[in-house]
Amino acid sequence: MTEQQSQFALDLTGVSKRYGGVTALNEVDFKCKPGSIHAILGENGAGKSTLIKIISGVVQPDDGVIKIGDDAVHFTTPQHATDKGVVCIFQELSLMPDMSVADNICLTDPPRNWLGLIDSAEQIRISEELLARVDCDDINPRELVKNLPLSRRQMVEIAKALGRNPKILILDEATSALAAADVEKVYEILKGLREDGLTLLYISHRMHEIEELADTYSVFRNGSHIETFEKGKRSDQEIVEMMIGREISSVFPPKPEKSETLPHVLEVENLNWTDRLTNISLSLGKGETIGLGGLDGQGQREFLLALFGVLRGVEGTIKVNGTETRISSPKQAKSDDIGMALIPEDRKTEGLMLPMSVRDNVSIVSLDQFTKGLSIDKGLEDQKINEMVEKMTIKVGSVEDSVATLSGGNQQKVVIAKWLMTGAQIILLNDPTRGIDVGTKQELYQLFRELADAGNSIIFYSTDYDELIGLCDRVMIFYAGKILKELVGDQINETNIVASSLNIDLSGPEKENAE
Amino acid sequence: MTFAFPQIDKPIKYALGFIALILIIGTVYTLITQGTMNFLSPNYLLQQLQVASYLGLVATGMMMVILLGHIDLSVPWTLTTAAMVATAVGGDMAIPAGLLTGLMVGLVNGLGVAFLRVPSMIFTLGVNTVLQGLMVIQTGGFSPRSEATPIMEYLASSSILGIPTSLLVWLSIAVLIIYMLNKMPMGRYIFAMGNRESAAYLSGINTRLILIGTFVICSLCASMAGILLAGYSAKAYQGMGDLYLLPAIAAVVIGGTNILGGKGTFAGTFVGAILIVLLQSVLSVMQMPEAGRQVIYGCVIIGMLLVYGRGDKKES
Repeated sequence: MTEQQSQFALDLTGVSKRYGGVTALNEVDFKCKPGSIHAILGENGAGKSTLIKIISGVVQPDDGVIKIGDDAVHFTTPQHATDKGVVCIFQELSLMPDMSVADNICLTDPPRNWLGLIDSAEQIRISEELLARVDCDDINPRELVKNLPLSRRQMVEIAKALGRNPKILILDEATSALAAADVEKVYEILKGLREDGLTLLYISHRMHEIEELADTYSVFRNGSHIETFEKGKRSDQEIVEMMIGREISSVFPPKPEKSETLPHVLEVENLNWTDRLTNISLSLGKGETIGLGGLDGQGQREFLLALFGVLRGVEGTIKVNGTETRISSPKQAKSDDIGMALIPEDRKTEGLMLPMSVRDNVSIVSLDQFTKGLSIDKGLEDQKINEMVEKMTIKVGSVEDSVATLSGGNQQKVVIAKWLMTGAQIILLNDPTRGIDVGTKQELYQLFRELADAGNSIIFYSTDYDELIGLCDRVMIFYAGKILKELVGDQINETNIVASSLNIDLSGPEKENAE
Repeated sequence: MTFAFPQIDKPIKYALGFIALILIIGTVYTLITQGTMNFLSPNYLLQQLQVASYLGLVATGMMMVILLGHIDLSVPWTLTTAAMVATAVGGDMAIPAGLLTGLMVGLVNGLGVAFLRVPSMIFTLGVNTVLQGLMVIQTGGFSPRSEATPIMEYLASSSILGIPTSLLVWLSIAVLIIYMLNKMPMGRYIFAMGNRESAAYLSGINTRLILIGTFVICSLCASMAGILLAGYSAKAYQGMGDLYLLPAIAAVVIGGTNILGGKGTFAGTFVGAILIVLLQSVLSVMQMPEAGRQVIYGCVIIGMLLVYGRGDKKES
């Protein structure tokens, strides 16, 4: 890109994208200049990833015009976007571990000799050149990718992206796998690319990285582009407020006063698991709701799985009702002694057997209740299932219908219903309202409140700060596998949650070091 | 209920239609060449049911494993080993010994898949080869001289009121399987695991136990088929199971069981087994050379699967 008629490398006008009834992007106007590192900020679900998918051709917008330089483009495939100079480096490494570095770098368009066969010598020459460009001449292009350490792989990934001659390079959490020392190196390279006139779209949840790298910020919220401004024009406080927005879209049932001396149902001390969870301790009272906050992927999910006996090699002590227990499988976790339930993160792959009927799905955890002798008492089963379906107001024609035919909200109700059948005392909720319509969310909030009032204890992980504020008695902010901060009572507000999630210290001196 | 006529699945409908087609083509052929209608005679059909019951037993067990989303390639030599053990032991203990063999093989398969996490396709293929080797050592590579016991012969090739006993054996085992699949928690767990093993595991199902149990059932069915086949031929011999692996899988899949697991009925497998036996029989009566039979046989299986695949897409 050079400065021709258009001064923008990328120019989006009125771009919208809807998934069913959910608007992921709403009339977005978005421009970036060549020769800049442009950070995109926003909460989870703000529309960042949809924006990137549209720019890189993975999904097509419903409305709007996209211009690269002066050309209006209509990408139908990622390949098409790459041809126009848009290249994306995703969060998950996309390298083939059992192929050589050179094979990986030239994967999409290998050089060919006169027979049309892959020219390995040329391939290695190209790779050496690209690796030199990212300052990694020490990597042997013949080496298998799996033999490289993670940070080197990330560099190969960047070299691979450069091999496609990008004008616009998108980095989606591309530095999340790097150690601090390597990050510095990547910074240098990225800044060098900026000097070369490339446009870099940079997405990261790490505020410090963004401050270090980006020259322009754009904030997104609820699918809308809020504002684009230059570095230094806004304070951290203002950025956080922009990300949260003022409006509170959900209404929560009132929280009753909690007495201080709740009997402890679950006590966790010094829970460790590989390098993903470090010294997690908490105690959960009867009828209490503890929220797990923080950014996506800081160990909240692993913590819930560790409690539920899914992970191997978990260290630390877990006490249920004062008795020390080792929970080694979900079967044991759901047993009467422990009485734990887990509403998993992904209802489609972990919560439900989609092609099977509502009845089969709801009763699968608690078939023992309906089994007399060898066989299931279908009459009793249907009666209980129908009661539950009614209680949860799950909208189904018949309990024989497959759950795949239900809406997302009703599917989630089925997942919750199946665990309520067990009468569990400890309920672990892993982001239970993700991708659910507002009406169903309200019903679920009501339900969680009722469960807590009835004496059930809840651990609630949510990526939606409003929910943590509206539902939880205490909130634990996770950062890099540790509990960074515990917020109680009035401390639970948006500013505190967002600030501590990003490990920014807005107020007091009590800064804890997490990295 | 057994044959699920009230709500006939599409695959079963197609398979029944194809069975009718095979019989019509065969009958036209015999009318032209011999002026008879052999294929429609009750004797011929009952005989085919008897032959189908050996394949059907193997396919019934195979269906259970496929419902889980796994496969058992050790069936040929499980069948052969059980037959050889049964004839070698002889006497009253012949059949229990054969079934015990199946139980052991099933346990090995199930433990391997559940605990060592080896893909079932690889593990059972290995077990098949090991069994083959063991039997070659045992018999020195020749057909064993031992003979089937009278009760084995009775079960394999006699009849009660005109109905082949082997068919009765198959159907009574089928009744147990149908009961388990439809009434018992284990059946529900099998379908759940076949649809989404991770969801089943997170629902607190003992997935390992179900895996082992299912592989045991499959091997027991295969060993029962081996015992009947030994009774049918009055002896056990090397390679007697080799002709049953692919037809068994084909019967299951033609019957509408999803090869990736989670969906299927016994009625489908029943019809599938009969279809395959009739197809083989009619092709051989039509004096189709072996090579041509293989081609037609393969094309039919691929063709039927294509038809189902299309249908599924429209539904979803």
